[in-house]
Amino acid sequence: MNEENKRPMLDRLCGDMTESDRRNLNRANLWLALWLVSFAASTFLIKGDVVSSGLAGWIVAAAPLVVGLGAMLAYGRYMHQADELQRRIQLQALALGFGVAFFFGFGYRLLEKVGAPAADISDVSMVMAFFYFVGLWIGRRRYA
Amino acid sequence: MKNRLKVLRAERDWTQARLARELDVSRQTINAIETGKYDPSLPLAFSIAALFGQPIEQIFTPEASDPQNG
Repeated sequence: MNEENKRPMLDRLCGDMTESDRRNLNRANLWLALWLVSFAASTFLIKGDVVSSGLAGWIVAAAPLVVGLGAMLAYGRYMHQADELQRRIQLQALALGFGVAFFFGFGYRLLEKVGAPAADISDVSMVMAFFYFVGLWIGRRRYA
Repeated sequence: MKNRLKVLRAERDWTQARLARELDVSRQTINAIETGKYDPSLPLAFSIAALFGQPIEQIFTPEASDPQNG
């Protein structure tokens, strides 16, 4: 039994990281949490007709985009400085998520025409996120 | 690619975590290299060679199945 197999399962699943990776990933996750909050808040304000048009509407609608840019920059920083194996795992997960979502997005258009329930872009985003996490899980198992 | 990382580490009685700290990589990276699941980048291979004071070719050796030998 090698050293890896002696480690707790949750530890193996999450993978260990260098201190800088942990710090950068925590920062990226914080931005992602902020984005979720801002998206939920903007959705609530717009759908609830608290704001709907005019400058206030534009600001509320654009807020998640601005926060999302911060999340992208934080994730980019993590990727740029990441341990090389972690970077490979992330890239493979991103490739799986993007690839599946790309072909699902186009393929589902045809399925809709033959009777499948209508889907919108947020469904594609969910598929992308799901398969990104599947890719992370596969990568961490592959190199464990 | 085959490597002698585990042997060199054992000679110094280092854990994977200790070696990972010395090289500023994750312990998972060390484990993946030792088990042959991952070949390190050239900069990391040079860092490993420098740490153990040996030429790269004495630590990493190509296998017959490696693409450059195919």
